[in-house]
Amino acid sequence: MNAALKLIRQQRKAIVGVVIILALCLMAILAPVIAPKNPSARVGRSHQPPTIEHVMGTTKMGRDVYTQFVWGARTSIAVGFATGIAITALGTVIGLIAGYVGGRTDAALDLATNAVLVIPNIPLLILLASFAGTVGPLAIMAIIALTSWPWGARMTRSQTLALRTRDFVTAARMIGEPGWRIVFVELLPNLLPLIGINLVGSIIYAIVAQTTLEYLGFGDPLQVSWGTMLYNAQNSSAIILGAWWDIGAPAAGIALIGLGLALVNFTFDEIANPQLRSGPALSRWLRLNRARNRNLEAAR
Amino acid sequence: MRISSRRLGVYTIALVFAIVMNFTVPRLMPGTPVDAMIAQLGSRATPAAIEAIKARFGAVDAPIATQFVDYLKGLATLDLGVSVKYYPQTVVAVLSRSALWTAFLVVTAILFSLLVGVTLGAVAAWRRGGRFDTIVSPLSVVMIAVPPVIIALTTLFLFGVSLRWFPVGYAYDPSLDPGLNFAFVGSVFFHAIMPVLTLSPYLIGEFQTTMRSSMISVLGEDYVTMGRAKGLTSMTVMFGYGARNAMLPVLTNLALMLGAVFGGSIVTEIVFNYPGLGLTLFTASVARDYPVIQGQLLMMTMATLGANLLVDIIYGLVDPRLREAAQ
Repeated sequence: MNAALKLIRQQRKAIVGVVIILALCLMAILAPVIAPKNPSARVGRSHQPPTIEHVMGTTKMGRDVYTQFVWGARTSIAVGFATGIAITALGTVIGLIAGYVGGRTDAALDLATNAVLVIPNIPLLILLASFAGTVGPLAIMAIIALTSWPWGARMTRSQTLALRTRDFVTAARMIGEPGWRIVFVELLPNLLPLIGINLVGSIIYAIVAQTTLEYLGFGDPLQVSWGTMLYNAQNSSAIILGAWWDIGAPAAGIALIGLGLALVNFTFDEIANPQLRSGPALSRWLRLNRARNRNLEAAR
Repeated sequence: MRISSRRLGVYTIALVFAIVMNFTVPRLMPGTPVDAMIAQLGSRATPAAIEAIKARFGAVDAPIATQFVDYLKGLATLDLGVSVKYYPQTVVAVLSRSALWTAFLVVTAILFSLLVGVTLGAVAAWRRGGRFDTIVSPLSVVMIAVPPVIIALTTLFLFGVSLRWFPVGYAYDPSLDPGLNFAFVGSVFFHAIMPVLTLSPYLIGEFQTTMRSSMISVLGEDYVTMGRAKGLTSMTVMFGYGARNAMLPVLTNLALMLGAVFGGSIVTEIVFNYPGLGLTLFTASVARDYPVIQGQLLMMTMATLGANLLVDIIYGLVDPRLREAAQ
């Protein structure tokens, strides 16, 4: 436990990432307190630049960008995280079953995984979304989750295959533990680092996909989110008119949450795969190594 | 050079899946697809559009199996129906007009990013833990996490609208006649700069990350130590011994990323008003031009499958172990 804490303390990147994510989540949760106005209310003239009264300016419709930004965080972050969790759960279960059961089940699941993997996601999402008309956050979630689980399933499957032949699994089987127990009690805990990477990666992907869909106009226009803010700004030609605040606020929000998640993911990668480690510990080791080599040369 | 029947099976299933999706989704809507689509069109339902939809879906009262066979027959003869928005042009005509531009954009971006990303990854792995590595590698992960929409809008605003360095739309200067002359080709590349630079960060990030981790494990191999022991320059060892072999996982990753690249290009083309498949898809989806949207999915799936097949072939040629096995 101490070693784990030490590892975390050394990971400055992860701490910065977590702080960014937590700050944005806190903002989303506290939306009624820090932005008490209705995000859809007309409060000013069209496309006003930032002032004291409207710190992030107003949209074409005269809505307060700051209020929309704060309330939009709710939908965007909630849908992103929920979708990420759904993608990870699907991928982990399918990967675990394929890897553990093996045989024909594995062959069929692996074939399905690889097939869904090569179908271009976004065009498929657009097909589904355009037939469904405008889709609410829940439908966007379902569509994204159903088309993007294969990445995680592949990773989980190959890791499960590697774990399956280990002695502790064989031992468990010989004791007569039931299959579900071996999967959930013996295998799953060993897959946790992988699931962590998968989860953060899936959330990143979900946010990218959600933003793309909403930007293309498939979101529910009445639901304020960062993606629909971008869509509305694009539709009112905010960029050509020079209303940078209208595009800039949601763009900064999405970029920030992406940055936070990326920093966390980078650290997860390093923890799960020590070979990839860079960071202070490695540079210290390399410096020592260089010094030792120099000493050896000098001694010769 | 042989491609395993397993891979071919995967591609076949993916294609069948896309076809079945295309066939099923419109029929899942309440009522017959024709009525539902006409209802969706609302005020946009011109007589021409209704005609196009009816022609596309044929006898909707026939049994599902008959409808499916008819649909397959249409696909086999490359008949994807008639566009609703550009009636009476066929879907194939509408799509092939824009496909070349998307291909140009995506291929240029991939080549550019391969060059940059692989070099950055190789150098970062070589100087693992150094300052270069600690800056470039986390940056790559961040570049993967930022949606192309954001990069596109920022680039457009900074370089297109504020600084006015680059044109903000179209694939070439409309006052020029298309042809193989310097002015036209130059204009094509000039117009492609911003879209390509928008597509690249994601690709560079992915290539850098994959290259770095695969290069790190390659650098631990005996033949790299051997190269060093022979006293070769670090450039030769890094690129001739290390990077050359570490490239293989990057190729695999490239094939899997193509779907995401197409997604990125859709958004990029919309933002920069670039006349590729993405913009066509967008105008089609705004107009609820279902035949075009369906054709688009099929086309992008086929493009992805074709590219995957190509990577499989290249892989077989590049990897000496697979080359040996085939002989």
